[in-house]
Amino acid sequence: MEVEEPEVTTATDEDRPWVVLVWNDPINLMPYVTFVFQKLFGYSKEKATSLMMDVHEKGRATVSSGTRTEAEHDVHRLHAHGLWATMEHDE
Amino acid sequence: MRFRRYVAPNRDGSYRFEFPEPLKMLIVQLADELNQSIGDDNPDLARLFPTAYAKDPELDAGYQILARGELIDHRTTAFDTVKSSATKDVLDDEQLTAWMGVVNDLRLVLGTRLDVSEDDRELSEDHPDARAYEIYMLLGHVLSEIVDGLSSNLPDEGTGERPAPGIDLG
Repeated sequence: MEVEEPEVTTATDEDRPWVVLVWNDPINLMPYVTFVFQKLFGYSKEKATSLMMDVHEKGRATVSSGTRTEAEHDVHRLHAHGLWATMEHDE
Repeated sequence: MRFRRYVAPNRDGSYRFEFPEPLKMLIVQLADELNQSIGDDNPDLARLFPTAYAKDPELDAGYQILARGELIDHRTTAFDTVKSSATKDVLDDEQLTAWMGVVNDLRLVLGTRLDVSEDDRELSEDHPDARAYEIYMLLGHVLSEIVDGLSSNLPDEGTGERPAPGIDLG
């Protein structure tokens, strides 16, 4: 996607990575979520399954991190696959 | 006993896709209805366009302006692929992936409308949502088979590849 340029922020803000979270929902099938993590991030089946179980059992999992542009791209791809993804500054 | 599988990988990278014709037509019909109403302001569609910046409405508004149109285009393209491949019994990776996306979108919309929870429930036959719930469960079986088929061509050890920003939505 075309991603807008980040707004002017302080160096500190720029240095803090963004994290991409996927949230539990009652509709998406567990094997589907695992498959999407493997496909979009190139994760092994083991890692993708473990992230999926975190989403399912803990309610959410951090699936990737990076600059704002990278995180927004990941969120966008997850949205295109129907997953409930959000991004926020790492704390 | 062994259940028949409707989706299975072929050696050449394509997939057998042998769901019964009426089931495929039902999916095309439901997807057509969704495709025609996808721009509507309808709470049932909320799961197709989630919030990206949960803690920052201003940044999210910016994201939505850019992302919403692309998410609609992405889904319209997938629907066109589904429609044009509905009578085929062998699909390539791109076509099967389009079916996966469309079926998952239909489940998201139907599941939102039905307000489903994680627990399966049984609805009596005369319940007003009985037919919709039956379709929702049916779509779940279809999706499971498609995901099984596509997963069989992904390496268990992972590719380690994360596409760079700026390319398609995968």
